[in-house]
Amino acid sequence: MTAPAPTPQNERQIGRFSLRSFRAKFMLVVGIAVLFDLALAGGIGIWNVQRLSRDATKQVGDGLTTATEEYLQTYIDTTAFRADLLINRVHSELATLASTMQTLIDHPDIQEAVGETVSKSPDFSSPLVYDPKGGWVQNEAGVPSAVSVWGYLLDENMQPVPKAAEELKKSSFLSLVGPSMMSTGAPKLQIYYVGPKDASIMRATPYSEQAQTFDLLYPGHNEGPNFWDFFFPGVYEGWQGWIEDPSSRPVASDIVTTAPYVDAITGELIVSFFHPLWSADRKDLAGMVAVDITLEQLTSLVESLEISETGFGFLAMSDGNVVATNSIGEKTLGLVSTDVSGQGVTGVNRNLTESSQAAIASLDLGATRDTVIEHIFLDHGGEEVPYLLVLKQLNPTNLWDGAGITGETMTLGFVVSEREIYQSLIDATDNISAATTRILNYQVIAFLFSIVVVFLAVYAISGRITKGLSRLADAAKALQNKDYSVRVEIPTRDEVAAVGLAFNRMAEEISYHTENLENLVEERTKKLENANSEIVALNARLKSENLRLGAELDVARRIQEMVLPRRSELDIIPQIEIAAFMEPADEVGGDYYDVLFDGEHIKVGIGDVTGHGLESGVLMLMVQSVARALQEKGDRDPVAFLDVLNRAVYKNIARTRSDKHLTLAFVDYHEGKVTLSGQHEEVLIIRANGETERIDTMDLGFPVGLEEDILPFVATLVLPFGPEDILILHTDGITEAENDRGEMFGLDRLSQSAHENRLKSAKGIAEAVITDVKSHIGGHKVFDDITLVVLKHR
Amino acid sequence: MDISTNDYRVWTEGSTIHYEGTMRLSGTDAYAPILEGMNAILAAKPDLITLDLTSLQFLNSSGINLLAKFTIEIRKQPDVGVRVLGSKSIPWQSKSLRNLQRLHPALELTIS
Repeated sequence: MTAPAPTPQNERQIGRFSLRSFRAKFMLVVGIAVLFDLALAGGIGIWNVQRLSRDATKQVGDGLTTATEEYLQTYIDTTAFRADLLINRVHSELATLASTMQTLIDHPDIQEAVGETVSKSPDFSSPLVYDPKGGWVQNEAGVPSAVSVWGYLLDENMQPVPKAAEELKKSSFLSLVGPSMMSTGAPKLQIYYVGPKDASIMRATPYSEQAQTFDLLYPGHNEGPNFWDFFFPGVYEGWQGWIEDPSSRPVASDIVTTAPYVDAITGELIVSFFHPLWSADRKDLAGMVAVDITLEQLTSLVESLEISETGFGFLAMSDGNVVATNSIGEKTLGLVSTDVSGQGVTGVNRNLTESSQAAIASLDLGATRDTVIEHIFLDHGGEEVPYLLVLKQLNPTNLWDGAGITGETMTLGFVVSEREIYQSLIDATDNISAATTRILNYQVIAFLFSIVVVFLAVYAISGRITKGLSRLADAAKALQNKDYSVRVEIPTRDEVAAVGLAFNRMAEEISYHTENLENLVEERTKKLENANSEIVALNARLKSENLRLGAELDVARRIQEMVLPRRSELDIIPQIEIAAFMEPADEVGGDYYDVLFDGEHIKVGIGDVTGHGLESGVLMLMVQSVARALQEKGDRDPVAFLDVLNRAVYKNIARTRSDKHLTLAFVDYHEGKVTLSGQHEEVLIIRANGETERIDTMDLGFPVGLEEDILPFVATLVLPFGPEDILILHTDGITEAENDRGEMFGLDRLSQSAHENRLKSAKGIAEAVITDVKSHIGGHKVFDDITLVVLKHR
Repeated sequence: MDISTNDYRVWTEGSTIHYEGTMRLSGTDAYAPILEGMNAILAAKPDLITLDLTSLQFLNSSGINLLAKFTIEIRKQPDVGVRVLGSKSIPWQSKSLRNLQRLHPALELTIS
């Protein structure tokens, strides 16, 4: 049978740069490790930068929001305070004038005197002139105040009725204080006085052609019934109501404001503040003093507010009408201007509730007096733009709403684009984002660069590392191609070098073995030959040794055979039939039996020498010789017989330095009696009538050769032995014969076997017992010598 | 001493020597290692040497010779007491062990 051809798999070439090469795998592993490391480090770096950016943006954003809101709140509070201050200033000036006039009313004589004096002075009073076209009377220009007496206050001579004339006088005081009030304090358009309902003349400073203007703007005003009901219906009655119940005033002030309106004379957006004058008895009205101001100051305050880039302020009435805001505000708030014609005065309306921006239209201006900050979204061409809305209410005032007096609270509002507020933050975030991108780019570049560097380095190093392996592989291939001279040279001192060294040794050995195979075979053959001859010699020696041992055993066997009594000796014994059987376990047994017959006495001995072999055989020969000698000497005393025998044997054992001894018992027969002596196995006697006796011999003696003097232990036992009586002696080889199960044959079986065959001759009994013993042993090992002596009385 | 085979085991515990199993060693030479161990105990001259044979099912004649020789050795040392423990249920013991006592009357034989 031939060896299988190498498979193509084993033969496959592994290229230097093949993916299967060790170098490629090495590079792959290192490359992946570096890749992983860089990716992890880079990823963590970028993640941290981004988190830092996010956290910083949030913190700065929160801070910015807080700062901005605080700033706006302070700003709006201050602005509201300024607006209130502006209005309060006018209010206080008006109140001062009203208070002065009231003092005069309360003191009619002084009022009379002052009126008389002033009306007579050409510096303060000019003649009244009837205007036929208008149907009213008005003083001529050139004095501080213009006073008009409407048609319904003239009599048939076109002269003021007495009550009106009286009012003319009373009101002339205004010419005194009016100019100085106009030139000081808050900028005012005009200060004027209107008489009570039944004499509602109007005096205003500075002088203007007021009646003409009224005719132009408010046709029908000269028809009556009076100034109040035509221009400001409801105000007079409202005030009258206050007399009865001062607490019915919406705001705890007598001053009532009009809603802003376009002034008929100047065309400016103006507001009038009215202050009632009471009759001396405080039961009715005595007219009023009023101030017109333009809202220019207030609106410029609001419109000039600079909040961020496109932030603006606005001022709105409680009904949502925006009184002031700039163009950006108007556009941002989505306001639509509508002209509103009221009775007497013309108003403007740019109402928040009509705003095109839902967030603005739904604003609740009357919510609270506290500053409110809301984040709202305004629609800019479909885009929801976040705005910050701040609202602050001004001080409340009493307002004439065209029908009566109600309370009014104007609201100041700021609107700022959150985008502007957060512009710097957005810029910063953009910068951070750009920086993150930059870092990421650098990371990627560094990463790629690292990979290239690492791969180049690994490539270079791996070449060195795998060089040894490549050389080994080449060398192994060369070796496979039967080039036994190949040797590997590995410059490194690592494990590969160790393998190379081992390879070289192996190659050397292969080379040596291959090249010296014949020599080797020859050498080995020679060695084998030597070994063979040694074995032959040994074998020869062994054979001779065996022969020697065999010879010794032969001698021993001869001795044993020689010692045992002949069959012919036994047959001539007259009274007793004796049959004996002996089978040694080994070549030479340790058992002994003898039958000594001197023509008169029969002495049968049985013994068991410890051990086997030549030594035991010699001991047996000694015992036999001594026993024969004693028998021949005629020593009839069994005790003395055994004692002498023991002494002789003991001494001989001592001389031969043997460590053996033996059990030994004798049966002496003489005239129908047997005398037992010596210690051995039990003696079995089967009487002619079938009764069986077992006689223990332990107390009849002692092992022979063990002690010098056994006399104290030796005794005799005399038993009758008549015709057909049977006496059986045996050695322990019979009773201790084992079968396969380790069961011993035992004395019981021996006794039974002999008993069953008691009618046979001694020989027959012996044969039957031995047959039983043999069948008991079966195929089992025979451990000990088997000896059986059967005596049967003839 | 602790000699153990498939058939028997002989071991010592202090000055007590235990015998167990079936001993059929062929001759005195085969028993030599056991006798050596027994003599080693005797050499230490203990007050009492105990031979525990209660588990020794069988002992061949060479073994009995060994015990007898050892008893004679002990007898030479009057200071050393000896006690032999045997078992009634083992037939050879009740007969053979009495010889040991005869060899050395001071030997204490307990067959239980």
